Amino acid sequence: MLVLALGSAVALSFFVGEGDLSNEALRGTLLRLRAWRLANTVLAGAALAGAGVLVQGLFRNPLASPSILGTSAGATLGGVLVLVLWNALLAARLDWIPAELILPVGCLLGAWLSLTILLAVTGRGASIVTVLLTGFILSSLFLSLGSLLMSLAQNTWEMGRAVVAFTLGGVDAKGPRHAALALPLVAVTSIVAMGWSRHLDLLLSGEEEAQSLGVDVDAARRWVIVWASTLTAAAVAIGGNVAFVGLVVPHALRPFTGPEHRVLIPAALVGGAAFLTAADVLTRVLPSAGTIPLGVVTGLVGAPLFLLLLARASREGRIA
Amino acid sequence: MKSGLQVRDLWASYRRGPDVVRGVDLDAPRGSITALLGPNGSGKSTLLKALVGLVDSRGEVALDGEDLRTVTPEQRAQRVAYVPQRSLLSAPLLVHSVVAQGRFPHRRGLGGLGQEDQQIVDAALADADISHLACRPFTELSGGEQQRVLLARALATGADVLLMDEPTSAQDVRHALELHAILGRLRERGAAILVCLHDLSEVCAIADRAVLLECGSVHADGPANEIVHDRHITPVYGVELIEGGGLGFKLAKEEADG
Repeated sequence: MLVLALGSAVALSFFVGEGDLSNEALRGTLLRLRAWRLANTVLAGAALAGAGVLVQGLFRNPLASPSILGTSAGATLGGVLVLVLWNALLAARLDWIPAELILPVGCLLGAWLSLTILLAVTGRGASIVTVLLTGFILSSLFLSLGSLLMSLAQNTWEMGRAVVAFTLGGVDAKGPRHAALALPLVAVTSIVAMGWSRHLDLLLSGEEEAQSLGVDVDAARRWVIVWASTLTAAAVAIGGNVAFVGLVVPHALRPFTGPEHRVLIPAALVGGAAFLTAADVLTRVLPSAGTIPLGVVTGLVGAPLFLLLLARASREGRIA
Repeated sequence: MKSGLQVRDLWASYRRGPDVVRGVDLDAPRGSITALLGPNGSGKSTLLKALVGLVDSRGEVALDGEDLRTVTPEQRAQRVAYVPQRSLLSAPLLVHSVVAQGRFPHRRGLGGLGQEDQQIVDAALADADISHLACRPFTELSGGEQQRVLLARALATGADVLLMDEPTSAQDVRHALELHAILGRLRERGAAILVCLHDLSEVCAIADRAVLLECGSVHADGPANEIVHDRHITPVYGVELIEGGGLGFKLAKEEADG
């Protein structure tokens, strides 16, 4: 069913949007552009949903996701920082390295730092609210720092353009270089992360039980943070800070897959790809004067769902 | 060399806080059930957690003469199983999957359970009398049933040292008696069982030996029926046994008068 959903979203994404496919001269170019856009969307969606499953498992918190915990904001800040430093200091000498190549490195460091700070601040066994509030504060902090950097970057037109284009996000105008870079990151990380499925399943029972059953909890946390950061970084490097995919997709899937990560992680990868592709199609068909950013569509779906889940958790007394 | 679990001069604390367990010596020999007694806050649960490395501790912990403090978490989990009072699991994992988690320290890779693992899981389900619950979600079970699942998961590790934290606290009388029977069978197979008990009336019913803790130190250690005696119980709990009343208790005189 998931694969079917992905298939339909993929088909739609080829045939929907501005431009006339009946024009023979344009058809080839148009389809090629849409194919690259599609490849990037699929990768970003899969990465975000995969990262969502990982952080939800890591924090034993069904309301966690890379955007809510500030991981995406951290990745964005890391990306901006690297772009600014790159343009200011090194680009003159190392201009043979394209900026797309160093961007994910900054995103990765930012995402990793963000999750590490979150874990250090909240400590073991923190309540759902503590984790969410800390993530919110971190997110605000990183976005402020990012804005500060952006205002500094306005000095030169070239740098300003690169930074603004990155922070606005979106999968349009993302080409083969982005996809080629993200594909191995997402593929390798997902496969390795699946190898930690059993650890994540055991962590569902809390760290004490997991440790008593032989899980090296500290190592598991360290590595899951690395995998979640890498996936978030890959997604942010492609599409910017697209919120709620990591929250919505695992939630929509759990009733069908159950909580076991061995099934949930691959399902989330496919489901995330389908969800973001469908959202991208929506940005093209919804009536608007210009282009609707991808994050707007995911937010319109994700934010109400988050509220619903929060209300349910609060009613069931799982919040404290 | 002694067989079973030996603990010498064990000190334990939560995150470098004050010591909750203070210089405890105890033995849990194979083929016997050792009860860990003491009022609330006397360090019973912390002591069990220290034995499986869940809290900061120092001192000697050995199994059959081999130091347990230097082995990896997986190696320890293969030999010593810990059954918490209740699980924090709030995801609807099936009972079979929860019990299969006990095979974690033995398994590698992503694949499903091997045939041998499967047999061990089935045997653990049967030993804990919950085979009929195997396909139910853990979160839908009663507290007593969940406790059985945790016991089955511990049995599935193949460990023959079992540490249990107040296993009967969530059970009604019949289920508690059934649990006593299960523990009795495990003892006959040569397991070393160390169990925290809240209810003193249970001690003589299931335990061979008892260790009475007070403020983190051992107050008395010996055969269960000798430890559950006014001589030891009154100074620690402030209660007296009712004479001829079996294992019922009443408040000690000075408290009742005051």
